[in-house]
Amino acid sequence: MAAAFKGRREDRRLVSGGGRYTADWNLPGQLHAAFLRSDRPHARIVAIDAQAALAAPGVVAVLTGEDTLAEGIRNAPPMLPYPGRGGQPIKLPPRSVLATGRVSHIGQEVAMVVATTALAAADAVERISIEYSDLPAVIDAEAALAPGAPLAHPEVPGNVCFDFDYGDEARVKEIFAGAARITRVKLDSQRICGVPMEPKACLASYDAQQGVYDFWSSTQGITMMRGSVAGYGIAPDKVRPRAQDVGGGFGIRSGAYPEYIAVMIAAKKTGRPVKWVGSRSETFVSDHHGRAIRLSGELAMDEDGHFLAARYEWVCNQGAFPSGPGPLINTVTPKLTPNGVYRIPAVYGRNRLVLTNTTPITAYRGAGRPDAAYLLERLVEEAARESGIDRVELRRRNLIPKDAFPYTTPTQSAYDSGDYEALLDEVLARSDWEGFEARRAEARARGRLRGIGCAVFLEPAGGAGPKDQAMLKFGSSGEMTLYSVTGPSGQGHETVFPEVVGRELGVPPELITLRASDPDGPPLDGFGTVGSRSMGAHGGAALLAAREVVRKGLELAAKELEVAAQDLEFAGGRFRVKGTDRSLALVELARRHAGKGAVHPLDATADNAAGATFPSGAHVAEVEIDPRTGAVEVARYTGVDDCGVVVNHTLVEGQVQGGIVQGAGQVLGEHCVFDEGGQLLTGSFMDYAMPHAGLIGELRLYDHPVPSPRNPLGVKGVGESGTTGSLPTLMNAILDALRPAGVRQLDMPATPARVWAALRAAAGARQPPRG
Amino acid sequence: MTVNGNKVSHEAEDRTLLVEFLRDTLGLTGTHVGCDTSQCGCCTVHVDGRAVKSCTMLVGQANGAQVRTIEGMAEGERLHPVQQAFTECHALQCGFCTPGMIMAVAGLLQDNPSPSDEDIIHGLEGNLCRCTGYINIVKAVKQASKTIGGA
Repeated sequence: MAAAFKGRREDRRLVSGGGRYTADWNLPGQLHAAFLRSDRPHARIVAIDAQAALAAPGVVAVLTGEDTLAEGIRNAPPMLPYPGRGGQPIKLPPRSVLATGRVSHIGQEVAMVVATTALAAADAVERISIEYSDLPAVIDAEAALAPGAPLAHPEVPGNVCFDFDYGDEARVKEIFAGAARITRVKLDSQRICGVPMEPKACLASYDAQQGVYDFWSSTQGITMMRGSVAGYGIAPDKVRPRAQDVGGGFGIRSGAYPEYIAVMIAAKKTGRPVKWVGSRSETFVSDHHGRAIRLSGELAMDEDGHFLAARYEWVCNQGAFPSGPGPLINTVTPKLTPNGVYRIPAVYGRNRLVLTNTTPITAYRGAGRPDAAYLLERLVEEAARESGIDRVELRRRNLIPKDAFPYTTPTQSAYDSGDYEALLDEVLARSDWEGFEARRAEARARGRLRGIGCAVFLEPAGGAGPKDQAMLKFGSSGEMTLYSVTGPSGQGHETVFPEVVGRELGVPPELITLRASDPDGPPLDGFGTVGSRSMGAHGGAALLAAREVVRKGLELAAKELEVAAQDLEFAGGRFRVKGTDRSLALVELARRHAGKGAVHPLDATADNAAGATFPSGAHVAEVEIDPRTGAVEVARYTGVDDCGVVVNHTLVEGQVQGGIVQGAGQVLGEHCVFDEGGQLLTGSFMDYAMPHAGLIGELRLYDHPVPSPRNPLGVKGVGESGTTGSLPTLMNAILDALRPAGVRQLDMPATPARVWAALRAAAGARQPPRG
Repeated sequence: MTVNGNKVSHEAEDRTLLVEFLRDTLGLTGTHVGCDTSQCGCCTVHVDGRAVKSCTMLVGQANGAQVRTIEGMAEGERLHPVQQAFTECHALQCGFCTPGMIMAVAGLLQDNPSPSDEDIIHGLEGNLCRCTGYINIVKAVKQASKTIGGA
């Protein structure tokens, strides 16, 4: 069993101020960049006059969009391996690194000043004069669909850049026509800011002889960063992405932002390293946002509450430009898991991706999964209310049974493993679901509205990419370096990947050091740290590399011990001649063969082709609402999660805790708001309701592992499942609390103002004014 | 001023913030900048024994002061009890907010060695974390409180 948690390998430096985040790196002779950003949502650029900025003290260069075009920088295409409805490809508006011709959202990068100090660069930005001619802007995605709506880009008529559908439209229509019961909901998964605590920053230097950039940034992996940079037209082998510590990723750091490319060009043009450290205000407006989806759903049941068919419609605001992951994550998830944890024989969904004059949308913790789970679990909840069937019983009646795996969805996606009913049973017991009505009554006596809600959910995790590689290289005294293209941002890979290898090799994990996404390491294939894939993909590759070490070690040890390899067994870190006490430790074997050439004979590389896993969970939340203020308090939250085999319980629990509270942030307060004129109203921590300590006080989590057959470790994804579960769980609880007061409908975020207004409206509707 | 026990003397532009001076002039990059509105708490340090957000002070205002940063918390190899508690309770993930959190918590426990849950939540109001959901941070504060109280 695992030893008691004593801290991670990363922690010593991170608690001592020894972490090195992007802004902590400096290079001799570096210059500093600052950006001029659009202060309007949609306008033609009539003229840019940078003369006064160029003449300002300390200024070395001013770059505009024309300069980036002259460098051959092109529009980075999104990752989207399939066409839309009717075979139509995505429509891409032109996008340059710095705006050319027109600006399309507030905060868009228009010009960049490079100067000897950061303050000089910021001062000079004020001296750039731009003449704009305003154009009509469109902000809301549903408004953008209306006939005659202003166009975000003239190249995309109707503002729909991608129209996608899945499932069997005709069959679903037929089933709905004959169904005994139909439940409908329409929900908003509001726009969210990712807000990693480390603001966006980068540092670039250019080696003109080799034509290679060294580039420091917050990244979710070297191959992803190289791939993203390649999208702009810079060859991947011409960039050495660097990062030691990354202050949060959450999906929004999977690609290269336009600022990164501009800073690289500036380093090339000036011949000096260029550093840019964004402010939080800039990060709020220019880090790509998440969610921003209007979700509609319909569920058809028979008289007995058996689900027959589901139909969904998503209207996805993509902002001014489709981001790298935006179109993918807004279409792939609902198709992969259209029926969630339930047997629903027929499904159909249509997702329209809409361009507006707002900040682009990208993957944000969950990336479509919380939205899918929220829609389905709200539908099931409402179906129970409308039919009068108990909400737990309705779920139980429709859950996919544990003997149905691998389970194939109506859209031909294959779930790996699970036991949803066991999760539900356990969470009901652990949360004392049965005893709730007494707690509701007790709260009522105190003047509080108490509610309970549950959700049973799953999500697709991992997959993506044909294979991930890992390499183990031996040093001079038996120690090993593990190379992987994973891109950690707090998950604890430096701790847990060596644990995986150490356990397999029977050596202390301290003998193994992870070098993640090292540009000076061996070239390895693989995808980065996104989609809750790292342990299954990279951890699995590390395990296979360790097994390869053992295989090679058997051959080598056989020679040393003068026996045949098949007479040896490997256990507890030693090669032993079967049935004898003659043995040789792996570490000793490695030492004997060290220093005999560039490659150690035990060095091993492994390929891991990990498939998608489907982590699941059953969560229960209890909330209390003060009807006088509308304030919602999460009284307790219980989660039972199947994240597959748990390699390190503390780290897994940390991921689920963080994920649940991040979801609670969306449910209870976070909302990135553009006004009708396209101005960002939530541009700082003064206006954007970040979760604070105490948002969820009592949080009890339990592992319920069902191993996955899709990767060598048997793990499932864990980074995002907490967020996926907490949206429907908390909203079901809030609506349960509000239902006795007559509130049937409430959209996230359930802020005190919204809850109070909903209670007032319901009271008004129930008690018509006298007279 | 004195920083982590060392006397330092530099010329600085009037508008330089204490955090900029610590990071850019002294190279003490453990103190982080996470916002521009004094709300995230990533830049928290101790000035004359009080926890202070170092983005809220001009460096001139700290002239002659005793400043302690995260780099000055451990005694040699021995971590400060708050650093130790954060490590053992898995109260950090990406670690960006951590130095400021630790300095704020050390300040809180100095003022209130045995804080209640409510005191802790109130005490952490000025520090933001995106990774942990604060669950293990609250746990670490309680553990550190016990360690310091028992020492």
